[in-house]
Amino acid sequence: MIPRNKNYLAQFAVRFVLLGGLLLVSTTSTAAERIGLVKTYEPVAMVIRQGAEITLQVGAEIFEGDTIVTDSSGAVGIIFSDGAVLTLGPSGKLIVENFLFKPAEQKVSFISRVTKGSVAFMSGAIGRISPGSVQFKTPTATLGLRGTKILIEVD
Amino acid sequence: MNIRILFSVLVVSLLTACCSTGTTVVLVPDANGKVGKVDVTTASGKVVLTKDKESTQATKANEAPSRPVVLSDDKIQDMFADTLAKEPIPPGRYRFYFASGSADLQAEADAELIKTKSAIEARKSCDLSVIGHSDTVGDNEGNKGISTRRAETVAKALTDRGIASNCMDVRYYGESDPAVPTADNVDEPLNRRVEVEIR
Repeated sequence: MIPRNKNYLAQFAVRFVLLGGLLLVSTTSTAAERIGLVKTYEPVAMVIRQGAEITLQVGAEIFEGDTIVTDSSGAVGIIFSDGAVLTLGPSGKLIVENFLFKPAEQKVSFISRVTKGSVAFMSGAIGRISPGSVQFKTPTATLGLRGTKILIEVD
Repeated sequence: MNIRILFSVLVVSLLTACCSTGTTVVLVPDANGKVGKVDVTTASGKVVLTKDKESTQATKANEAPSRPVVLSDDKIQDMFADTLAKEPIPPGRYRFYFASGSADLQAEADAELIKTKSAIEARKSCDLSVIGHSDTVGDNEGNKGISTRRAETVAKALTDRGIASNCMDVRYYGESDPAVPTADNVDEPLNRRVEVEIR
């Protein structure tokens, strides 16, 4: 009886460790990598991420899927991990819909949607590696960049 | 029925008249003074901007973008001053070159390392990429390997000089992002490099 119990405990421990391992693997594989950092900030600007509003600041991380919004006096400047520089001016709203950056495999894409406000954008390595894969969508048009810097106003 | 349709058409046209969401696009030179190109496409047409300060407007999705016009500096400032005032300093780039097939630093690397270190400190940056590149000689797999080793060499030289390794990401682009685009299997010294990007 006792050995069997021990056996049961050992099995339980093994299962527990395996489960823990699985959880760890799944969290690390789904954990998003940051795609950019906030470099300049004028209050108030925030990011809407998975339904939560987070006020930005210099040094804050940006992730794929983030919606960035600024109020009438807010602005935010971001440098992305491919070296692209994006500034969103007052009363703006921009969504980073897709950011894929695997340069060695030539898998790159950078698609954003601007629904209002002004944007200054200078493309980085994604634009150099695959011209045309940097896109901005607005309510009326799609912009395809072939290097390097543009200004956009949506009203 | 007809009146109802007419009414909704009227409402829709009034709505679009009052709140037309237009898009203005202006092409400007980048930090190096280079002017690229941008395609502006709506459901009914496409305009390509190719010149400095050239601009087009897409007022409605079902109309072609307007004919490009060159805007004055004053007009651009008028529209974008608040945004341009908050632009981050563009990333700084420092380059290290390598002999064919080698991941060893060359003699001139010392001077470049000193410049790189002072640029990192001046910018108080903890956001660096050390990026290894290769030329197109050999296959892409081998070039990923050599570009990784080159990046690791430069990253180590920087940490040896006191740059925090947690501020650095070390990566390789292989032959994907050449400084000088070439055909395959071309020995191009300017492409065998590591770039330190300071953001």
